[in-house]
Amino acid sequence: MLLCMLLGGVTAVDAVSWPQAMISRPVVSATLGGAVLGEPLAGLTVGAILELLALRHLPMGTASYPDTGPAGVVAGASAAVSVGPAGLAAATLAGWAIGWMGSRTVGWLRSLNAWLVAGPSVQELAARPARLERRHRWAVALDVARGGVLVGALLVPAAALSTIMPDVRGAPAEVAVVGGLIGALAAGAGAGGGALSSRGREVLLVALGAVGMIVLRTLV
Amino acid sequence: MRVEGRRLARSFLRCFAIQGSFNDRTYQAGGLTYALLPLLQRAYGGDPVGLREATERHLARFNAHPYLAPMAVGALARLESEGADPATIGRFRRALTGALGAAGDRAIWGSWRPFCLLLGLLAFSLGSGPWMAVLAFLGPFTAGHLAIRLWAFHRGWTRGREAPAALGSFFWQRVPRWLSRGSLMLVGAVAVGLAGPIAGEMSMGSVAGAAAGLVAVLASFRPEAGGRLAGVLLVIAPLAAVVLR
Repeated sequence: MLLCMLLGGVTAVDAVSWPQAMISRPVVSATLGGAVLGEPLAGLTVGAILELLALRHLPMGTASYPDTGPAGVVAGASAAVSVGPAGLAAATLAGWAIGWMGSRTVGWLRSLNAWLVAGPSVQELAARPARLERRHRWAVALDVARGGVLVGALLVPAAALSTIMPDVRGAPAEVAVVGGLIGALAAGAGAGGGALSSRGREVLLVALGAVGMIVLRTLV
Repeated sequence: MRVEGRRLARSFLRCFAIQGSFNDRTYQAGGLTYALLPLLQRAYGGDPVGLREATERHLARFNAHPYLAPMAVGALARLESEGADPATIGRFRRALTGALGAAGDRAIWGSWRPFCLLLGLLAFSLGSGPWMAVLAFLGPFTAGHLAIRLWAFHRGWTRGREAPAALGSFFWQRVPRWLSRGSLMLVGAVAVGLAGPIAGEMSMGSVAGAAAGLVAVLASFRPEAGGRLAGVLLVIAPLAAVVLR
């Protein structure tokens, strides 16, 4: 739990505050979360789905986006203890929900940051630069704490949800569960592609890529 | 004015925390000033009033792409060191916000990052292990963002006011467009490729792949609807296991 909370803090601070090396992306954070419990592959699987869902949410202007660092850690760890596709689906859903909850806490942190560095009068801060430096570092430390607390609070419920899901392997429900997961990742990927393209016809490149992979899979 | 390498290095390293105190009032101003301080202290050594005024100037609202913000740090520090008048510095500072923000959003968030992410996912869909997939993403991305940050800081410090002109170059205008197109192809390939591992032992892996490709193509025409569909399916998947078991 402590290791997951530490990972949560490190991945949370990476997203915005420091150093933005993208270990907060689900591909990395979920793999790390799964690896803590010995299942990096399960972590990456859920991280891949979350990554495609998050692809269209670009941090530009006032757009909101999910807090994928702590969410990925929780999702990856939950996937590591899950059984079968239903557990994987629950871990993914938990990760997605936690990502948006985390986004709300980022808003709170920004309000706190405004008090820290924009609250005191400019003249006051400018007269004592060491005070500004201290407050800036405190803001970074608070972001780490935020991520750790988020993981600490939500890891157990998310993991519990993943473990209580029925094992539907070999059952008729497996088709629905797997179909839903694949549909979600495909729709998320397509939505991400649409958001990335600047001209309408460019989305046909998505079809080109899909056909190319189908051909490759058929030949190999 | 000669500035020792250690101060420049300190300022550059502080650029990695330029968004540390990001807020909706002054945005990156706190971080910008934090990164500038080692160089401002050198420029205004022995002039506490000048240092206070310079610090106050840079606490005004500021926002730029975090990987290109080092250009602002370097260029503003250069102007301060050269004794440029505050009005000029203020105008240049405001112009930087638009230039560095737009270029960075387009080239990095909209092109370089998704391209590298999709490379990692492609590696996973082609059967690589989890750590190779992570490396396939982080390897090129890390090399890229470190190089951009270092280049931006160096350019800002050595060119001052002329620094942002480089953002109109072929590299910054054309390459992002190619990367975006590459990303679109990777989106389709990854959607098909990941369907197989998730379908797992089910014998319908190839059908799942084709269906995934079709859904991805359709969703790309309507990103908002595609995003909502993804959310709905994500909720339905675990519910189906409970309801249909």
